[in-house]
Amino acid sequence: MPFVVRLAGGILGAAVLAGCTGHDSAQDQLTLTVSRGNCGSAWETPPSGAQKVLVRNVGTVTTEVDLIDPGTGGVYAEVEALAPNTERTMDVTFGKSSYAFRCFAEDTDAVTGPTIQVTEGSPPASPAVLPISSQDLSGAVGAYRGYVTKGLKTLADQTAALTRTLRAGDVAASRAAWLRAHLAYERLGAAYDTFGDFADQIDGLPDGLSKGVQDPEFVGLRRIEYGLWHGQPPKTLARYGDQLGTAVAGLRAEFPSARTDPNDLPLRAHEIMENALQFELTGQADQGSGTGRATIQANLDGTQAVLDALGPLMTKRYADWPQIAVWIAKTRELIKKQDGTAMDRRRLNAAVSQLVEVLAPIAAIGDVRRTS
Amino acid sequence: MSSNGTPRRAFLWGALGAGVAVGATGATLPTRAEATAPDPVVPFHGIHQAGIITPAQPHAVHVAFDVLTDNRAELTDLFKTLTERARFLTAGGTPPDPGISAPPTDSGVLGPTVPADRLTVTVGVGASLFDDRYGLANRKPKQLTPMTTFPNDHLDPAESHGDLSVQLCADNRDTVVHALRDIARHTRGAMQMRWRYEGFNSPPRPAGTPRNLMGFKDGTSNLDTNDAALMDRMVWVQHNDQPWTTNGSYQVVRRIRMLVEFWDRVSINEQENMFGRRRDTGAPLDGNHENDVPNFAADPIGSAIPLTSHIRRANPRTPQSDDSRILRRPYNYDRGVDTVGNLDMGLVFVCYQQDLQRQFEAIQNRLADEPLVDYIQPVGGGYFLVLPGVQNTEDYLGRGLLT
Repeated sequence: MPFVVRLAGGILGAAVLAGCTGHDSAQDQLTLTVSRGNCGSAWETPPSGAQKVLVRNVGTVTTEVDLIDPGTGGVYAEVEALAPNTERTMDVTFGKSSYAFRCFAEDTDAVTGPTIQVTEGSPPASPAVLPISSQDLSGAVGAYRGYVTKGLKTLADQTAALTRTLRAGDVAASRAAWLRAHLAYERLGAAYDTFGDFADQIDGLPDGLSKGVQDPEFVGLRRIEYGLWHGQPPKTLARYGDQLGTAVAGLRAEFPSARTDPNDLPLRAHEIMENALQFELTGQADQGSGTGRATIQANLDGTQAVLDALGPLMTKRYADWPQIAVWIAKTRELIKKQDGTAMDRRRLNAAVSQLVEVLAPIAAIGDVRRTS
Repeated sequence: MSSNGTPRRAFLWGALGAGVAVGATGATLPTRAEATAPDPVVPFHGIHQAGIITPAQPHAVHVAFDVLTDNRAELTDLFKTLTERARFLTAGGTPPDPGISAPPTDSGVLGPTVPADRLTVTVGVGASLFDDRYGLANRKPKQLTPMTTFPNDHLDPAESHGDLSVQLCADNRDTVVHALRDIARHTRGAMQMRWRYEGFNSPPRPAGTPRNLMGFKDGTSNLDTNDAALMDRMVWVQHNDQPWTTNGSYQVVRRIRMLVEFWDRVSINEQENMFGRRRDTGAPLDGNHENDVPNFAADPIGSAIPLTSHIRRANPRTPQSDDSRILRRPYNYDRGVDTVGNLDMGLVFVCYQQDLQRQFEAIQNRLADEPLVDYIQPVGGGYFLVLPGVQNTEDYLGRGLLT
């Protein structure tokens, strides 16, 4: 039989409790026992303050357990994927609010346990966050895919122009055409393997190839960059332009039928700039052009597209959402101010680093959750 | 697990969650086989910051930051954030669970509950913080200058100076690393690391004062930190041109590389004459035991302890030199290989004093061109004023400076 029972913390806990009023000690531990179709029952009102809830799955299927505000459905805490015969601790700071546990056993409808009301203390320090379902994200995913589709068209045009320019043989014109094509790609926000194998063909780095920049598998925009800034005649690079065009066309052809995992979008909110920090701000990706700062600007455009798509879902769920615009603006301003002192550089490091900090919660909030 | 399903440990964590460190309540808890060992806590609040007269913990990191806030209000926020993080980290406890609203608030490096582990967080300010950025020029104490370049120095500008210094010391290295990550995470947009030194203290070999990486006991005749009157005279800022600095202390941090391969090729007599002490026992060359007090007056021409030896130049033990003594709190460092295949190791020299010019600089000037300089290279560091202590939960680091 499922139960929730408030356990005094053993003999010692009981002894300590005896000297207390019974409401102000943090020594008690709630234990919640769940199984398919059951999400605890009849729990005693916990005292306000920090508590550890032991959640135990005695059933036969993996279950997610959320502590929710039954009034709104907002989530205070969660234990994800609790396997049968396992237990996890849920850290909760109870405040003046109503609470209930909600269990999502695999292949089973959600079950909500009884509601309790904590009547003491201040309201919870962090309010419950409304979970986001796959359905909730479909509009955002659609908007973002629209942005990428348009961007891919631009990329295809710029790639074709680059290849033509390479064939014509002028170095300065080729470099300019390369930058336009490269930024068109970077604006897509293609961080961390978003485009799978196409990403390597379009913008792969020589890192990880056994012969480095000499490796025959080093192709795409970065290979052209390497050539254009290492004295290789543009005409000899045209073949890389052709290959690039093929890869971009392949990606364009495949994209409409490729599914975008809704989870990817909230993740990308910080991953594009994590990628920019790791490869562009460090200069690690640079193959000679020294255009890392322009790339970061393009990555900010890509991030902004993700944020625009997610905005309607996030503004109510993420209290620090306005901070994002502040740090994006600051980053953009510092990128433009390119006087190169060590202090300026540290300012830019600080802005990008703070930006990824304020972007990171979007991934946690936007992680797709069951709501029923 | 115990029969009622509630591990004993959970009780302890519960107590921690309420903001009470185990070390503070340990005495009231009955001894239990399952109880964790007491977690030693160095109190954060006090009129002085901890980490100065605190007995040196085995592990340290010294970091200098450049402050990047746009204005004084943001600078105040930075000091408040630093204070909050230091208060939590030095007490230990369970970091709050953000639920689904954010990634975990703690790195988890020290497990689900952060132990205090005798962590101290000691924050200082450098001369550059008093430039025109925050309107603090009229708060600058006269003696706080950028670190002097001494004749035998080889300073790298990228590794020197800084707006702010943070010294983190603890019983374990992971605690120090955890604290640094926590502080950096909470202050990324407001300050960035300029340089950082990792240090360790060796255990006594076999007894007495720990040895440096030249093999000599280092710090035998240090100031007695239990002597409060001496600390007031030598370490804590008392009478000065900026009253807000009272109960602060001036900090010198210098990375002094030791050319250990060269040193190891030097005869023992030459080594001992350079220091003025025996390498094996640490005794002064006119004595038998580590704690024997050298009698320079009885050896005016340096036949036992050469006049140029380190201990004689650093502390001539005359009435005139008495008030130039410093509180030394150094750490050994060991960090990689140089371009010619030699080890980069040496000393993170750290000392505290009431007056930089009267104390550290006077000593440094006496040491100029001592024979030891051929075997060492000061390569970076800075001068900082360690701020007065945070007195209670309402107080914050730098309050006297900013208000």
